Amino acid sequence: MAVTLPVTPAPLNTDFCGLTLNSPIVLLSGCVGFGEEYTRVDGFSNADVGAVVLKGTTRESRLGNQPHRVYETPAGMLNAIGLQNPGMDRVVDHILPGLDFAETRFFANVCGSTIDDYAAVTKRFDDSPIDAIEINISCPNIKQGGVSFGNYPDMSAKVVAACRAQTSKPIIAKLSPNQTDIQENARLCIEAGADALAVINTVMGMAIDTENRRPVIGNVRGGLSGPAIKPIALLKVHQVYEIAGPRNIPIIGQGGIVSARDAIEFLLAGATTVGVGTALFYDPMACKKINTGLADYLKVRQLQSVSQLVGALQL
Amino acid sequence: MAVADIEDRIAHAQRHRSSIFLEDAELVSVEKFPAEQFIMRLRAPRCAERASPGSFVHIQCSEQIPMRRPLSIMRASKNDGWIEVLFKSLGEGLRALGSAEIGDVFSIIGPIGKGFVPDQQRPNTVLIGGGVGIPPMVFLAESMQSEDFDWNPIVLMGSEIPFPFDAAESKIPCDWLNADINHTMPLLDRWNVPARLASLAGFDGCFNGYVTDLSKMYLESLTEEQRQQTELYACGPTIMLQAVAKLAEGYSIPAQVSLEEYMACAVGGCAGCTVEIQSDDGPTMQRVCVDGPVFEASRVVF
Repeated sequence: MAVTLPVTPAPLNTDFCGLTLNSPIVLLSGCVGFGEEYTRVDGFSNADVGAVVLKGTTRESRLGNQPHRVYETPAGMLNAIGLQNPGMDRVVDHILPGLDFAETRFFANVCGSTIDDYAAVTKRFDDSPIDAIEINISCPNIKQGGVSFGNYPDMSAKVVAACRAQTSKPIIAKLSPNQTDIQENARLCIEAGADALAVINTVMGMAIDTENRRPVIGNVRGGLSGPAIKPIALLKVHQVYEIAGPRNIPIIGQGGIVSARDAIEFLLAGATTVGVGTALFYDPMACKKINTGLADYLKVRQLQSVSQLVGALQL
Repeated sequence: MAVADIEDRIAHAQRHRSSIFLEDAELVSVEKFPAEQFIMRLRAPRCAERASPGSFVHIQCSEQIPMRRPLSIMRASKNDGWIEVLFKSLGEGLRALGSAEIGDVFSIIGPIGKGFVPDQQRPNTVLIGGGVGIPPMVFLAESMQSEDFDWNPIVLMGSEIPFPFDAAESKIPCDWLNADINHTMPLLDRWNVPARLASLAGFDGCFNGYVTDLSKMYLESLTEEQRQQTELYACGPTIMLQAVAKLAEGYSIPAQVSLEEYMACAVGGCAGCTVEIQSDDGPTMQRVCVDGPVFEASRVVF
């Protein structure tokens, strides 16, 4: 099945939950549709990244939220898409067969309104070529489920345990920054069987149109992403690494990464892989540039592997 | 609830691999018009090569404002490798673009989107543009005039601020209209495309009313047989497109409208720019960027 081509410099090869990724870059859920969309752009290749996380998928299809769904804010953007997706059966039966698993790894992103939903979607993906399953317990843009689980460590753990029971594929718990104690949440998710943690999902926010006095975003609130949230994300990764590091649980560090330097900061804070999303909207070639920058950084410092940077923060 | 045809979308993306180009586009000329309106010519040969009426570019207006802005392509020269865009410098991004100088370079991706698809069964084409929605109409008119097929286009444009061109008296008669209503966009006269202007602002030589009222007058002047060979094409404010859709429905004429919505990726990845479109199976949310920007008017839920 998934034979990864060595298109990126060898030192960028990254081990993640027993999978070899050809780069530590992971394209984040919701930014690249179901994996093919960005290939419309000449020069963009899924082979430049270690993995692509597909759009959040639910048991039944969803139309998503009313417009506006996106809006630029200082050093970032708000989004409230509302998990528009065709439902798990269409994704597994019709979309996955069309993806080129020789180019990169594909991870699913599962979401639901109930614990049972999460388990059902996970089970559906278990019997598919998907390489890993991300559990989206932190989507801020739906009325039920998502962050209403992720903001409470006990609930997060219950969702993870229910999904764990359905699959032997690697499970990634995607954690919300919109909670009091992310360390406790990380610990309980690991104990419930998470193989990895994604830190962080978007930060909740809003924007107001002063002309018509209405919220800009149709859903009123949205998730803030982009460089504006990078310092928040970096601290959360640092905090979660204190829990996950000793347990050998890898972290996908994400939130505002647009350059190799940003990626290196996340690696030093304890991330094994780095998520890129909003940066693609700025520059569709962002991943190629980050790969090059990472390889240069390693070469200059005579390091053999990107893994030597993980958690190498000097305190 | 109906599911948008996702397999088709994936197949569409695969068929269109490497169809959108990232280019550093140099500003080669700029014309400024009243009310902060600009027509910019950018050197972007790869984009120009593939541009079609209705397609757009996603442009980074400045490094400080990294999210891109979608702008319809107004003209494209394959031979000389340029495209032209028209915009009003509303908002932070387009204000920054409006302050650009010749020689400045902008990152663009394009051409993007499914444009207008003229139907040869309906050679009478009414191209309706409102405000800064006129660019695709200009592109469509130029493209129809350059094709071997015998299209019979008329362009009708409306604006409540001064038009983004120096309107002048047309040499092409429109005998369905009072002779006083005779102003046009000179470029269209040069291409031998009849055109007339509408405004409530009292500009010289313009029809005093909405462009959709002017369009209705034109349709009224046609015979039923002529109307059966007519199609409407429109781009402009939502309220105008809604009126176009109603007009088309009233005469049982098809209409294609170009929509806009706030956009993030513009290549179909984020589903941020969706609009509600009625499919045969029920409501769908479709992406303006790659499922559109042009949709059948009768299917748009305004």
